[in-house]
Amino acid sequence: MKKLLLGLALSAVVGSGSALAADVRIGTEGAYAPWNYMDDSGKLAGYEIELGNELCKRAGVSCEFVVNEWDSIIPNLLAGNYDVIMAGMSVTDERRETINFSAEYYPPDPSKYAGASNLDADFENLKGLKIGAQGATIQADYIESTLAADNTILTYETPDQSIADLVAGNIDLLLADNSFLAPVVEGSSGAIAFVGPDVSIGGGVAMGMRKSDTELAEKMNAALESMKADGTVDKLIMEFFEAGPFFGN
Amino acid sequence: MLETLSLWFASNFGEQTAGWFDYFTNGKHLAWYASVRFTLLAAFFGALLAVLFGVLGAAARRSGFAPLRWIGLGYTTMVRGIPDVLFFLFFPLAFEQLVEFIMSRRLCSAEELATAVAWPPCQAAQWYLTTSEYLVMACVSLGIVYGAFAANVVHGAMNSVPKGQLEAARAYGFNSRQIFWNFQVRQMWVYALPGLSNVWMLLLKATSFLSLLQIADIVQWADRLGAPNYLARVGMVHPDWRWKYYFVLFLFYILLTVISERVFDWLQRRAGRGLALHGEQ
Repeated sequence: MKKLLLGLALSAVVGSGSALAADVRIGTEGAYAPWNYMDDSGKLAGYEIELGNELCKRAGVSCEFVVNEWDSIIPNLLAGNYDVIMAGMSVTDERRETINFSAEYYPPDPSKYAGASNLDADFENLKGLKIGAQGATIQADYIESTLAADNTILTYETPDQSIADLVAGNIDLLLADNSFLAPVVEGSSGAIAFVGPDVSIGGGVAMGMRKSDTELAEKMNAALESMKADGTVDKLIMEFFEAGPFFGN
Repeated sequence: MLETLSLWFASNFGEQTAGWFDYFTNGKHLAWYASVRFTLLAAFFGALLAVLFGVLGAAARRSGFAPLRWIGLGYTTMVRGIPDVLFFLFFPLAFEQLVEFIMSRRLCSAEELATAVAWPPCQAAQWYLTTSEYLVMACVSLGIVYGAFAANVVHGAMNSVPKGQLEAARAYGFNSRQIFWNFQVRQMWVYALPGLSNVWMLLLKATSFLSLLQIADIVQWADRLGAPNYLARVGMVHPDWRWKYYFVLFLFYILLTVISERVFDWLQRRAGRGLALHGEQ
């Protein structure tokens, strides 16, 4: 009884109460600009937020975004905390084993290395370097499987931490999505630069859903199809990424 | 309101001051200031539960009934030995699984239970955890962990109550329950408070783990605000400022410490009213 009262008192103060208000809950990281981030007003913004809201409108469902840390974003989808993942997640065969992907809403885009602009490294044969990536990403998989033998691999829980460590010089190289790195490199006023070759890993970016939610997947795919057809998706890509890749209709 | 203040700053202290004023009062910062409520709520209710569990645990340890005594002893020794971070991660997840297990047995059909591959077996048994549920569980976790420390403190304090007081009470014809609550518990506070203030300080520090439970608390907001930002679209462009924001948190916790010490001084004086202590009359 006491706990119940405590619970009631707390929820009155915290005032969430909207747990089941929306038809569809969308999980996102909220820390991966320009895909999904918190703007100065403290609200979620970004490519996926605008895309997701328009998708829901066209699919005729009410949606709500939920912030969830990246490393538990698939487990918490399976646990039912939300129904859709929109968090810059690339389609991979490994992820396909546990979740279902919609059609892609961002075309395949190469990953890139960023490092100090005066970094002298032989990219044919990387050795003795500290190389970082965000944990549980395709980039982390790639460096762990191909570069771990001769280099030190570091993984980070959040994209922000990886950038902070790169700028502080704690790692020599960071491998990440071009779409995420490009504005960082541009805005760092020369502190970091793109170095080495592009690395093509993973497919495009798509919504992740539970395998059992086939009806929701059909609805979302139909909405996405209509948004691609009338050029809305490309327009949003232009708005948030300022450059392609586009779907091009 | 904020805009008026911002204009006032601009006209009196120049554009730059006004710019900083705007920065420190933008939605993200306001959310940070507001998230202090999670810390304070968790500390307050956590402490309340810790005292409750502490008194119950100490009472169990002194019980004449052996199994109850073992529970009390087991509680104080085991829970004190488990790192609080670990307990923070373990308890809410385990509790959620337990609730979902019980609900699934009641709500899901036999067919669903037999064929399910995912957890929970059916959507009806799904328990959505939002910030308020997590906060309640954080309070309970804090209560259980620090209740074990409090139980130890209270147990020792009860032993410090002069035996003569209890014997006198018995001589006056009070029964053992009355003696326990009206004499031993009533008088033990003055011995327990110094120890409890230590437990409170530990508990207060442990509130910085709230972000482990996906609660957007002051630590998580400090992380978000201090993270380097190179995109004008996202907000003010700045390098890694996390240490500055963490430093503000240092000051905040020190402020809480100072206030707590004042409050405990006052409580100590109040608990000692009418008691003959250290030769005072």
